[in-house]
Amino acid sequence: MRESRLMLVQYATAVAAVALVSLHLIMQGVIYPYATAISFNNILSVYRNGFYAIFLEALLVVVLVHGFNGVRIILKEFRQSKPWNMWVDAGTVLAIVVTVAYGTRTVILAVFGGTA
Amino acid sequence: MAVGEERAKNRRGIRGWLDPYHYNAERWAYLFQRVTGVAILLYVLGHLGDTSFFVGGPTGTGPSPSAWKFIGSIFENSFGHLILILVVLVVFFHGINGIRLILAEFGLILRKPSAIEYPYKPKGLGQGQRILIYVAIVVAVAAAVWAFLVLFEGMG
Repeated sequence: MRESRLMLVQYATAVAAVALVSLHLIMQGVIYPYATAISFNNILSVYRNGFYAIFLEALLVVVLVHGFNGVRIILKEFRQSKPWNMWVDAGTVLAIVVTVAYGTRTVILAVFGGTA
Repeated sequence: MAVGEERAKNRRGIRGWLDPYHYNAERWAYLFQRVTGVAILLYVLGHLGDTSFFVGGPTGTGPSPSAWKFIGSIFENSFGHLILILVVLVVFFHGINGIRLILAEFGLILRKPSAIEYPYKPKGLGQGQRILIYVAIVVAVAAAVWAFLVLFEGMG
């Protein structure tokens, strides 16, 4: 993908992250008191509400794409060469895939897994 | 300046970030945007790890009250709450300063172009951008105070 497109991805995920992170923080300290928000039963009910499960998955993808693409941009500011660009791009994609997969696993197990 | 010197000057890498010589508000905002971005990403990776304990950690198979209680015993203390307050502080700064950068990128808050005049001093950002930088700082501090009240005073 062209760098100009990747910058647009960075801006789009930034705007989405501002909205999603704001809602996430409001849920943790405004809608519920913090102690209630992090209680096991409350988190389970949040995950098992379809809307919030999708919201948390979207938050995961948006923040990780924005974060790793941001690091990619910083690394390319430091140095420019064809092999460096290739390794940075490949590392970014790999990091996004691995971390999104791990976070998605948590969401899926929380939604569908049996309580231990 | 010789080509080699010019190249070395332009390739200072992270030393360029940490050398505040001739920094102005915009340059500090540039530095903090990158430092806070990396810090937030590191926090998010840690948060991915700790929230995975809700389902028993890396080898878990479903929601686990005991694993969640275990991870809570590690992070739910004054030190953990202090980290969360710092995270709130940098997230709000990064978010609002990031909105400023996006508005500038699309040309919405740029000052009007003007002729280059002697003594050729670089012109700073327009008032709109300066105000947004200060708004980012004020809102970030206010959010950190709010986080302190929620985490240490039981408000929220």
